[in-house]
Amino acid sequence: MEFFIQQFINGLTLGGVYALIALGYTMVYGIIQLINFAHGEFFAAGGYMGVIILSFMASMGYMETHPWLCLMGSMALTMGYCAMLAMAVEKVAYKPLRFASRLSVLLSALGMSIFLQNGLMLTQGVYDKPYPTSFTDGGFSIGMVTMSYMQVMILVMTVLLLIGLNILVFRTKIGTAMRATAQDKVMSALVGINSNRIISTTFALGAGLAAAAGIMVGLYYGSVRYDMGFVPGIKAFAAAVLGGIGNITGAMIGGLIIGMVEIMAAGYLSSEYKDVWAFVILIGVLYFMPTGIMGENVDDTRV
Amino acid sequence: MTWAIAMAWFYVLLWPLMGIHPDGTLTFKNSLIVWGWVVGLSGAVLILRQLNETGMFNAITTPVANVRAAANRGIDTVPVWLWWGIGFAATFALPFFTGRYVQDVAINVMIYICLGLGLNIVVGLCGLLDLGFIAFYGVGAYTYGLLSIHYAMPFWICLPFAAMTAALAGCIIGYPTLRMRGDYLAIVTLGFGEIVRLLLNNWMQLTNGPNGILGIKAPGLYYFSFANGFSLEHIWLKKLTYMYYVILGLMVLTIIAVHRLNFSRVGRAWEAIREDETAAELMGVNTFKLKLLAYAMGATFGGLAGAFFAARMRFVSPESFTFLESAMVLAMVVLGGMGSIPGIMLGALALVALPEVFREFELYRMLAFGGAMTVMMIFKPKGLWPAKRFGTRSDDND
Amino acid sequence: MKKLITMTLTFAMVMSLALAGAAVAKTLNVGSMSPLTGPYAADGNDIANGVRAAIAVVQDEGGVPGFDEIKFFPQDTACDPRQAVASANKLINDEVSFVIGAYCSSSTIPASETLDEESIPMLTPASTNEKVTERGLEYMFRMCGRDDDQSVVAVAFMTNYLKGKNIYLIDDKTTYSQGLADNVEKKAAAAGIKVLGHDHVNQGDKDFSAVLAKVKAANPDVFYMSLQNSSSGALMAIQARRVGIKAAIIGQDAVYHPQLISIAKEASEGMYLTFGFIDKQRSLYKKFLMKYSEMGFAAPGAYSGYAFDAAYAAIKAIKETGSTDPDAIKGALMKMDYDGATKRIKFMPNGDSGSNYIIRKVDGGKFINYWNPETGSTY
Repeated sequence: MEFFIQQFINGLTLGGVYALIALGYTMVYGIIQLINFAHGEFFAAGGYMGVIILSFMASMGYMETHPWLCLMGSMALTMGYCAMLAMAVEKVAYKPLRFASRLSVLLSALGMSIFLQNGLMLTQGVYDKPYPTSFTDGGFSIGMVTMSYMQVMILVMTVLLLIGLNILVFRTKIGTAMRATAQDKVMSALVGINSNRIISTTFALGAGLAAAAGIMVGLYYGSVRYDMGFVPGIKAFAAAVLGGIGNITGAMIGGLIIGMVEIMAAGYLSSEYKDVWAFVILIGVLYFMPTGIMGENVDDTRV
Repeated sequence: MTWAIAMAWFYVLLWPLMGIHPDGTLTFKNSLIVWGWVVGLSGAVLILRQLNETGMFNAITTPVANVRAAANRGIDTVPVWLWWGIGFAATFALPFFTGRYVQDVAINVMIYICLGLGLNIVVGLCGLLDLGFIAFYGVGAYTYGLLSIHYAMPFWICLPFAAMTAALAGCIIGYPTLRMRGDYLAIVTLGFGEIVRLLLNNWMQLTNGPNGILGIKAPGLYYFSFANGFSLEHIWLKKLTYMYYVILGLMVLTIIAVHRLNFSRVGRAWEAIREDETAAELMGVNTFKLKLLAYAMGATFGGLAGAFFAARMRFVSPESFTFLESAMVLAMVVLGGMGSIPGIMLGALALVALPEVFREFELYRMLAFGGAMTVMMIFKPKGLWPAKRFGTRSDDND
Repeated sequence: MKKLITMTLTFAMVMSLALAGAAVAKTLNVGSMSPLTGPYAADGNDIANGVRAAIAVVQDEGGVPGFDEIKFFPQDTACDPRQAVASANKLINDEVSFVIGAYCSSSTIPASETLDEESIPMLTPASTNEKVTERGLEYMFRMCGRDDDQSVVAVAFMTNYLKGKNIYLIDDKTTYSQGLADNVEKKAAAAGIKVLGHDHVNQGDKDFSAVLAKVKAANPDVFYMSLQNSSSGALMAIQARRVGIKAAIIGQDAVYHPQLISIAKEASEGMYLTFGFIDKQRSLYKKFLMKYSEMGFAAPGAYSGYAFDAAYAAIKAIKETGSTDPDAIKGALMKMDYDGATKRIKFMPNGDSGSNYIIRKVDGGKFINYWNPETGSTY
């Protein structure tokens, strides 16, 4: 039982990270039907920016005095930075292709992903970058179940960010505009919504969440690496689709399911086949629910 | 112009990410090189484009365009089959004039042409997005590899087997995905691709896991020898030149087959499914069977290419069948122009040859490659050589 | 159809670019192949940098008589067999005298077949699969040790020093790591150590929490983690300490890298590694270390040392014989017997070079020589 609870907590943590990344995928998809392969790179860029800012703060000595303030500050800065980066990428690589076939944009995104990943590798070096993690080390245990402070933090931050996003999308004007644009670009333009601005905002939001995930992952695992965005990117994409792509609640549920399946498969079955199980569950669910768990019927969009 | 501003914005943002290091030091040496190249090259492209739009180059471009138009007319008067013939002859003669390196690159290009044409059936003709196509390549390669080392079966007999197992894998993957559309399909195919790769990597008893399969035989050939009387001799086609002709034959076969399929009744039905599945079904097209057939046919060509790959490397390991490879093959199809055979050949040439050309840049090779991919897509969104489509569509008028 | 012309033109361009690489002056061309991009770029760059350091040291010593300069051709394999063969062919075109590489065994094997067709000696600093040297290739050498050597030392350490009763193994499913873990499992069982479990994770995994929870539940005396590189090693060490695994952790030479300590920090304290004995007083080791930091590379990892030794030995062979003839190089290499930077350089008939593994330990933020399997005592 303790073993199960332990794995459950591990699964929640991993699922939370996937959910944060998946949200960016799903929001972008919902609005311009693009699988944004470069999204994982925003996650990695967030991790790097986080380590840069935190190390700077540590070298100035602020980390000793106000560790949590530093953390929050760096997170805000990083999210802002990645949001702007994503907007720039959208303007450079996706906007000229707004009316081209969807596969062209997909390829442009893939090129961007390779470009950003190798840019990171060339300039930040091929070795891992350590995070100044001393203040988040440690944890507590109840019986045999141990939980690190970082895990608690990831869970709390994930929940907070998700609540914030929900409020933004469902309670504010800009959220309403986003949903309108997602449903019908032409009609929303007719009622005075600037679709270009909305698309930029969506990219910015998604990348901001990915950046937050990047920092937390960096702190949790203790280091960042230039290719860290690739595998979580694919998993998050799977999570987004599992939940029903374009659906925000779906992405959260999808992320949690993928994370949980992976951890449980590794804990109870065999660790080397954990990804196989995750994909088998994905295929199984999609077989019975062809539009994902929360998805609605999509149009016959052709590739 | 807005694009230029966006580019500038992009550079400014990349600056801190690439220049500042976590240890607080600002080592701009590397980043300055990378950043400088990016800014310089994209700036040059942009300026040329802008100047071109303002008509600065009219003095040069107009005569060039005239010459090109004349050349095009000249080219068009020559029948298409002749061009194909010349192309084939040139390819056939290539090994006589080149060294190993070019031959090796050419072999890779041809392998990817086969793969691209296979994927073209699924993506270009039938309109099903497939992100796990490399799985069939892997199935084909392992089929030949295993048959060769366990049963010592010759390459030529194994080819149909490889094609068959790959087609079977195609059906297995195709069946549960038939109800899905668009991106749901994409992720499921991606999932299948990953499952196949993980199975290859983990199923020790069958595939020898990460160690790979060693000692695969090259294709053999019998020929008549008159050296000492009349006898039947056997040679292993180990040399690169021989392998070149084997894959050339395979490629020609694939091109002819895909071309015939494209203009057959089945090909028309696939295109109908791509354009509007519901309408196609209403018109009496059996979408279930045809989509499955598209998967199977695509997989068959992938499997053939895989078997050749195993024979050519004489070694297979799961590292050759990663998701990035699937993405590359897809990129060839889209970059070349979906549904267009010469386009895909051009796409394969571009995507295999480009990284080789960029080899001179050492570390910067993949960076340049990624950037080039995005730029090519932005300037040629329909692909390098788009397919001629029949009739006009609403989205053509956008 | 004009695009067909473009196509042939592009072909011609590729060709001419390739041919332009060929040398004109009397230069000694040295090739290396390793993954400079992709997920294994860290180790790949270690290899290329090791070769660079070796060339610089040779040049400091007066260069190679008969050659005006030494040119270095580093090639990227991206750990992809297809690209490895392409880069092997590229190196053949560049007329290199020998090749250092590759990293992944799955790249080394097909690339070595290609190089063998043109009789170019290949010295691998990192591929430990026994098949690398056991295919009867004439000019294949290996500078690193083989999996079986390390497992012997690891198991001896467990039984004689740690007196462990049981063991849990995790590997990350590469030729290297799995081969090593399997060997340790077999030898440990033979030595009477109980194997509590042997799990595999996949390359590129970052989250080991599930499998480490299993290790914790099993509560072994010794936790053997067999991983492909130091970044996975650091991740696993951190997470192992975090879930509260008390067992002695043993790693191996692939995990040996200064970044293991810089990332895992206190989590790496007390970790044991099987690694070649390094005598810091050796002149070549000092030269290597000095050159390496002089050239501005990050601290050397395990493979930089092996790559250095491989390149240095090959150039030494050319120096001694004065020719780049493969048989001459092979003959000189086979006769060699001197103290390299990382080990004693002495090749066996099949091209292997043996090993001198000992146990090293992370102590106070440094790797120290800890336990000698030959004497059975600590240093």
